Amino acid sequence: MYGKGILKGLSVTWKRFWDTYLDDISWWVRGKKRYYTTEGVAHRSSKDARGIFTVQYPEEQLIQPEEFRFVPFLVFDGNEENKEVRCTSCGICAKVCPPQCIWIVRTNDPNTGKPVPQPAEFYVDMDICMNCGFCAEYCPFDAIKMDHEFAIASYDRNVYNLEKLLKPASYYAEIRPLNYNKEEEARKAKEAAKAAKAAAATQAA
Amino acid sequence: MEEHKEENKYEGLNLPNYNIPEDIQNVVSITTIDRLYNWGRRWSVWPLMFGLACCAIEMIAAQTARYDMARFGMEVMRPTPRQADMMLVSGTVTKKMLPSIIRLYNQMPEPKYVVAMGACASSGGPFKEGYNVVAGIDKFLPVDVYIPGCPPTPQALIAGMMKLQEKIDKQSIKKVRWYEKGKNDSNYVPMPILGPDLIDVRRNAEYKEAAAKKEGAA
Repeated sequence: MYGKGILKGLSVTWKRFWDTYLDDISWWVRGKKRYYTTEGVAHRSSKDARGIFTVQYPEEQLIQPEEFRFVPFLVFDGNEENKEVRCTSCGICAKVCPPQCIWIVRTNDPNTGKPVPQPAEFYVDMDICMNCGFCAEYCPFDAIKMDHEFAIASYDRNVYNLEKLLKPASYYAEIRPLNYNKEEEARKAKEAAKAAKAAAATQAA
Repeated sequence: MEEHKEENKYEGLNLPNYNIPEDIQNVVSITTIDRLYNWGRRWSVWPLMFGLACCAIEMIAAQTARYDMARFGMEVMRPTPRQADMMLVSGTVTKKMLPSIIRLYNQMPEPKYVVAMGACASSGGPFKEGYNVVAGIDKFLPVDVYIPGCPPTPQALIAGMMKLQEKIDKQSIKKVRWYEKGKNDSNYVPMPILGPDLIDVRRNAEYKEAAAKKEGAA
């Protein structure tokens, strides 16, 4: 029979149409909000979703998994007034960056002329960055991490400087809690081992 | 999520956010026409239907039911430049493709916008030093919005489109290039010349002769 496929397709659309309202009613009866809530978005993104599953972006957002990555940012400890930048300007991230979008200017001590483990300037060209996450992977100081923020479109080229790149460690802990806790534990264990070694050395002496 | 909602608040048609002089505050002014004009334009930005690389896949995903760009009036992908308002350069622009893109841009009627989607279109991305890749479409076309990402997720693309809408909001019918007297009504971009071909096919016989001579000598 001609037109069978069209009818089949239309019936799917029809079913979806009604499913949307049935689902809306069932959520309403349970006293929950299907739209503009994290719970609602989670349900609509899951396999149990029935009916319409559009995530209406500016009002609601897809729930990002922890390992979602967009562009890099630099982590600092301490507070806004006294930023302790973790970056030591070693330049490993700039070396491993496949499209080479990181530029670092190192700091020199004005008196001795020796390098100081602090970046004087740090630039990432976000328009070249290919979101591979190698910089975060290779950084030995956990200083550079991948961000979840993706709405960074602009009217001009996005070259981020130190001011725009720096974000507090608390922000990092917020977007990647599992990774943050893992790294903090590793750091604490390392410090404890160091202290134990120092104690053993003093005892031996 | 609530906080995000506040950020992207759109004022709507009925609240013209212009500084009207006090003496004409209660009179209908051109600013409201601007508002109406921009309101109509901002919700019907029709993209030109072409994709260049992997970014095009995300562009397609942004059109599907999950993200639904139809909510922004951008679902009508025009296959002809005559009906398109916006050129979404989605992907790597090779030197071979560049003349076609410039030609398409020149054929689009004003007002027209160019959005560089993804690293390759904005700057060349990982191929920025490639022999066959244009390091950013902005070297040739006036780009309005740059969307970083490799590729940008559909949501990032929509965020970029919203940025374009904001740009349209700020334009005034009195100041735009295409209505101004004495100026070019269209932004014509000259066709690029990307250097001569390495091999001149007209001299094929000459090359063959030289190759044969070399072979004979060896």
